[in-house]
Amino acid sequence: MRSRIYTIISGHFKSWYRSKSNIFWTIAFPLLLIVLFGAIFGNGSTKFDLYVQNQDLVANAPTSLSQGYVNNLTSTGAFSIHVVAAEQTDPITYIKNDAQLHNRGQRLLVIPLGFQTTLNTTHQAKIQLYMDQSDQASASLAGIVNAATVSYAARLSPTADNVSVQQVGIVTRNIRYIDFFIPGVIGMTLLTTGVFGAVNTNGRYRELKIIKKLATTPLSKIEWILGMVGYQMILATISLVVILFFGYAIFGVTATIDLYTVGLVVAAALLFPGIGMVLANFVKEAESADAAANAITFPMMFLAGTFWPRETLPDIMKIIANFMPLTYVNDGLRDALIYAEPAQALTNTIIALGLAAFFIVLGSVLMNWKEE
Amino acid sequence: MTNGQPTPFPGQSDKIVQVDNLSKKYGENVAVNGISFSLTKGEVFAFLGPNGAGKTTTVEILECLRNPTGGQANVLGYDVSKRSDQAEIRKRIGVLPQDFNAIDRLTVRENINYFGAMFKRQLDADKLIELVDLKDKRDEQFKSLSGGLKQRVGLAVSLVNDPDVVFLDEPTTGLDPRARRDVWGVVERLKSQGKTVFLTTHYMDEAEYLADIVSIIDHGQIIASGTPDQLIDAHGGKKTLIIRDAGQEGLKQLPPGLPKAELRNAGDIAVPLNNGELTSILMSLGTTPLHDKEIEVRRPTLDDVFLNLTGRRVSEEGN
Repeated sequence: MRSRIYTIISGHFKSWYRSKSNIFWTIAFPLLLIVLFGAIFGNGSTKFDLYVQNQDLVANAPTSLSQGYVNNLTSTGAFSIHVVAAEQTDPITYIKNDAQLHNRGQRLLVIPLGFQTTLNTTHQAKIQLYMDQSDQASASLAGIVNAATVSYAARLSPTADNVSVQQVGIVTRNIRYIDFFIPGVIGMTLLTTGVFGAVNTNGRYRELKIIKKLATTPLSKIEWILGMVGYQMILATISLVVILFFGYAIFGVTATIDLYTVGLVVAAALLFPGIGMVLANFVKEAESADAAANAITFPMMFLAGTFWPRETLPDIMKIIANFMPLTYVNDGLRDALIYAEPAQALTNTIIALGLAAFFIVLGSVLMNWKEE
Repeated sequence: MTNGQPTPFPGQSDKIVQVDNLSKKYGENVAVNGISFSLTKGEVFAFLGPNGAGKTTTVEILECLRNPTGGQANVLGYDVSKRSDQAEIRKRIGVLPQDFNAIDRLTVRENINYFGAMFKRQLDADKLIELVDLKDKRDEQFKSLSGGLKQRVGLAVSLVNDPDVVFLDEPTTGLDPRARRDVWGVVERLKSQGKTVFLTTHYMDEAEYLADIVSIIDHGQIIASGTPDQLIDAHGGKKTLIIRDAGQEGLKQLPPGLPKAELRNAGDIAVPLNNGELTSILMSLGTTPLHDKEIEVRRPTLDDVFLNLTGRRVSEEGN
């Protein structure tokens, strides 16, 4: 049995590395994506990024004093100001995700509701500046914000220091976009190699009568599936190692490979071929199965947090993303490889393994080994 | 079955395949309708019929790929319907499925070893490569081979476990005449080695050339069985004397007493021959202007047998 499974794995593997297009899609394409996205989103601004949420609105328009304060900040020329909508109820989480996506500093300045009223009545107002105080750049930025605030307050009333900046520490992961992106590319590669690999071997091999031929030998369906999964695990490991090495060499991305990573690779090597087998069963013709695989993988790639954080998606898309298996693989890989958050990595690994068990069993049951 | 040994049919220990009243239905559609036949050790057996006649369904039941709806089929003494017997059958049969392709990016040798690894008993790949005459191509990838060479790889793959019986499903369909002859050569070599071969085909000439026994199947039923000679003698009709390029004029020049002579497409005259008539007809032709025409005696073929039995011919495509 072992020899038969080894033969299946070795056959798939030889077919894989002898195909230039396979090498391209499995190795070169993900690396190309990393370079492209790294280049597009990796250029930092010479100005300080500053998210500003102006909560001091009247009839949905900023009050004149709060707007004056923002204008004053802008006029310093030191900031790239990114406006956060006043109705954003969790601005800190929002800016963490958005800053990560756009490779910006995670700093938020909040002008509270009643800023103008308080200033007019008590001549005292506070503005909160949320930032990671251990971040050197944030410290410089805080100095400029303070100076700008003093100058604004002086213009309002030359004798009184009536506007103060209250610094609030936040813990940032100091994650760049590329750190976020690399686990996503790994997830995407596992998805495409798994789904398309299974569609190819179970659709095309059926058309070529290879599966029919194998079914007339002592090889069992379970051995065939184990062989396919073993091959997927080898490919997944190669993808993981090559992408992480590349990420480290070019962008200095440091990742930690732990047991969760191993669990997620095993889950992916079962889950995505399982989905492919289910597809190949419902869409018998190899070409149509390929189209069906595209129809499944592309939305999953874009919605499951491969290229940008899911939190930036519209609400309905966030709900849909929760039903996408890739979501848990991507999140788990990020938690394990980059964020070093074992509790979340464990949850995602368990969900991914559960989905993997479901799909590989469903795919195996549905797969016709004999003809009927 | 006891101790994993096949139980021979009583008094028929050399029967490799025994089929009795076998049926297969797909819903209301009856693909195989109560057929019976047997295959003896060392025989080349041809299952002959047009597309859709039930050939592949039958052979796939014998290969344990499909379950029969009714009747009994045994291969090497094992029942194809029993799961425990199927495992034994799979170890000991060789199969070339219709339209089989090996793995594109593996070489000829790698493909033979790949399929060989599925069995405990595995023949040496190089010997099989020699048998199918592919020595020069052994390290070429399957995808780069021509159709005929690919089919020879398929034949080698079907023999990799040194099977007791080889099932070849339409092994020459779609091949050019030369490639077909090459495949026939391999089957002849198998025959000379004493292999038992079960062949399905819609090519009448193939069955006639290769088979010891032919069963003709049409609409799921066997309509005739026997050696090619027996079938031709019984159902082929008379021999025909052909006078080449004689034309309409030649028809008028025929000696009297040949009322059934007819003109065929290419201008040939065909004269049906009764037993013992040949000499007298030739002598009478010698006195006519046709004496210098090319003359040939054509024996009926399995094509004629099929025509006489079903009222239609099978096209090159098998329809």
